[in-house]
Amino acid sequence: MVEGVFVKLPSFPFLNPAVSPSSPNCRLGFRRFSASLSAVVKEGSVSLGHSTRPDFPILHQEVNGSKLVYLDNAATSQKPTAVLKALQNYYETYNSNVHRGIHYLSAKATDEYELARKKVAAFINASDSTEIVFTRNATEAINLVAYSWGLSNLRPGSEIILSIAEHHSAIVPWQTIAQKTGAILRFVSLDENEVPDVEELRGMISERTELVVVHHVSNVLGSVLPIEDIVIWAHAVGAKVLVDACQSVPHMVVDVQGLDADFLVASSHKMCGPTGVGFLFGKSNLLLDMPPFLGGGEMISDVFLDHSTYAEPPSRFEAGTPAIGEAIGLGAAIDYLSGIGMQKIHDYEMELANYLYEKLCSVPNIRIYGPKPSDNIHRAALCSFNVENIHPTDLATFLDQQHGVAIRSGHHCAQPLHRHLGVNASARASLHFYNTREDVDEFIRSLDDTVSFFNSFK
Amino acid sequence: MEAFVGIDTNLERSRSDLPFKSIPAATHLFSRWFDSSPLTCALKHQRKMALHSFSSARFCTSKFPICFHLSKPSKFPLFSHRSISFEKIPTKSPPPLRSSSTQLQPMEELPPKLQEIIKLFQSVEEPKAKYEQLMFYGKNLNPLDTQFKTKENKVEGCVSQVWVRAYLDEDKNVFYQADSDSVLTKGLAALLVNGLSGRPAQEILRVPPDFAVLLGLQQSLTPSRNNGFLNMLKLMQRKALELLIEAEKGNGAYGNGQVVTDNSEKPVENSNSDSNVDENSGVRLSSQKSNEDNSSGLGSRGMRIKEKLERELSPIVLEVEDVSYQHAGHAGVRGSDGETHFNVRIVSKEFEGKSLVKRHRLIYGLLDEELQTGLHALSLVAKTPSEVEAK
Repeated sequence: MVEGVFVKLPSFPFLNPAVSPSSPNCRLGFRRFSASLSAVVKEGSVSLGHSTRPDFPILHQEVNGSKLVYLDNAATSQKPTAVLKALQNYYETYNSNVHRGIHYLSAKATDEYELARKKVAAFINASDSTEIVFTRNATEAINLVAYSWGLSNLRPGSEIILSIAEHHSAIVPWQTIAQKTGAILRFVSLDENEVPDVEELRGMISERTELVVVHHVSNVLGSVLPIEDIVIWAHAVGAKVLVDACQSVPHMVVDVQGLDADFLVASSHKMCGPTGVGFLFGKSNLLLDMPPFLGGGEMISDVFLDHSTYAEPPSRFEAGTPAIGEAIGLGAAIDYLSGIGMQKIHDYEMELANYLYEKLCSVPNIRIYGPKPSDNIHRAALCSFNVENIHPTDLATFLDQQHGVAIRSGHHCAQPLHRHLGVNASARASLHFYNTREDVDEFIRSLDDTVSFFNSFK
Repeated sequence: MEAFVGIDTNLERSRSDLPFKSIPAATHLFSRWFDSSPLTCALKHQRKMALHSFSSARFCTSKFPICFHLSKPSKFPLFSHRSISFEKIPTKSPPPLRSSSTQLQPMEELPPKLQEIIKLFQSVEEPKAKYEQLMFYGKNLNPLDTQFKTKENKVEGCVSQVWVRAYLDEDKNVFYQADSDSVLTKGLAALLVNGLSGRPAQEILRVPPDFAVLLGLQQSLTPSRNNGFLNMLKLMQRKALELLIEAEKGNGAYGNGQVVTDNSEKPVENSNSDSNVDENSGVRLSSQKSNEDNSSGLGSRGMRIKEKLERELSPIVLEVEDVSYQHAGHAGVRGSDGETHFNVRIVSKEFEGKSLVKRHRLIYGLLDEELQTGLHALSLVAKTPSEVEAK
């Protein structure tokens, strides 16, 4: 039923002629359209969205008199009952401070907390759970790398390569560190497909490059970068790669060993886990050489009045009492996601992504940012867009007030990108596996109504 | 922005003050200005019903998240025991509490045009119609010249761009102009511009943001960078205050931070550049605390600073400038008499042989008493005569 849907799309050249052949398991989801679509969608089968919706109580409500249609998943995801129960259970039955106590509750809490760490490690295929550092969120994880690794490894003239499409959290800490160390930031611009120019990035990598900071999936453009290749080029000159995987880990299979990334960050709250916890993956040898970020309890070995010695990673970077319940909640979220299967989630979202893009294209005077989906270019299930002569805030406000549709309007923490695109703000609809085609239909219907309303006033 | 000098923006008012009893006949509500707007066209045949609805408090529908608490002791004893009957009228469904239990200011205290606008919005329940009305206002807003779309005039917030310009007329009433790239925000801006323009600054400063609740636009009152409406109102109020202070300064001695209605003949445009304090030495002063009329326009603290420095340092050049108005609303201003920030330029032989740090320390030492009693910041230029001549 979905064959031949994209008749109008022009064919695009391969994103990168030197791309290494996808592994047979297609870990990064680079599959051909037809194969993925027909493998997942059969006539009459219940879609993943419909089958998982009952697990998310928050979706079943009305806002402003209309049924809620939640399309702001790139900002934060909703949590299934399994995660809510895990949190409640933690606080009800074994809440206790970890790593310190001897009594039963404390031992149980410690076990569950460390088990959550193992779950995260397994989820992204890290070689050992000591390579997972729990932080408050991905932003803190990036700051950890910046202040800990950056301050001790960057010198005047060292180069850090980023793209102009990075999230502010991947730009701002490096600006501070560059100022402190004399390092230089260099930015890759977008190519004609409106994705970061991978060829330009390759050209920028040199002996002076110490670090490459890139997103895996863009929260505005919906594009996916070939991390494997970028890592190969960076390692060839001895540079490290920090991958911002906030928009990829929740939606597809991510294998840090397969990518060979040096650092990878993600947030729990975007992957159906609670807010307040995120994690940094760092290769063991890198973490071992890094000085502490925050100082306090937990991260020390011995404390004297005039100096202290520090613990091994990951404890070295986890000062103070952690977000124990939340980390356990993240573990429960990972169990839930693994129960469905990340590949299945990815395939379903690919289908939804194409459906969303296609239907959005039907709205007159719309401009969608990012690449057009094709056989070679996959988009994430999100679209940032602008409708001519209508401010995105007006769209978002009206959609919310009149139709209960929740989208986001603003710069999505990517001001440099918006400046490059020549706009102040954009509207963004982003999906997750518990959204359905009906959600997309409702969104488009409401958007049409909204656009007519505002156009009638011109 | 709670730090309006001398203004009590406390929002505690008696709930029973809602003076809808004293609403004039509905026909007065719809001035010619409203006549062609979508709402009034629809409403013209509903006027009688509107009047009836006001008196029966029809506004107490579930759309309006107003909580009718028992009243606290009112600051305005005039209204405290008038509208007891309203307390007995039940709301249709228990309205959800907004973030705090701030009670609404009596409508009568709001600028009259704003009251009219509120009543207009209240008489129509359908949200879509409200938005149409809002957009109608925006459409009819006078355009704002590009030269006024400056950083100082921009409303803080990251979602849409809004600029507000304020100026005083001859009667010291504040007038506004605004623009925005978002249609709904422009409508809100137009609503505020129309509702607040032409009124004295004190009245504008007393307008609490929660009047927006009465509009029924489900406008959030949570202060945040995304709250364009709240930030707009705050900017407009801050500009009104700045205009007022500048106007008073322009009249002579800036004695205190109390807001006093002056009758100046001069219209004063709001600007953030250093004002020329000497310009109005000839203008007659109206009521003010300090009687130290002088050519430099300094208040009592400014004079004390000047005297002390003159006495101790025998300067060749001494310029003391009060720039507190630039920091109006800033935390340091609160609780003082308004003389908090000064620029001082001093040329004296006493500085010879002293490093910059020593010179500043010397000055701070002399002005220690002032620093303890509310002087918040000094911007110093301290030179020796030879340094000045060398230039």
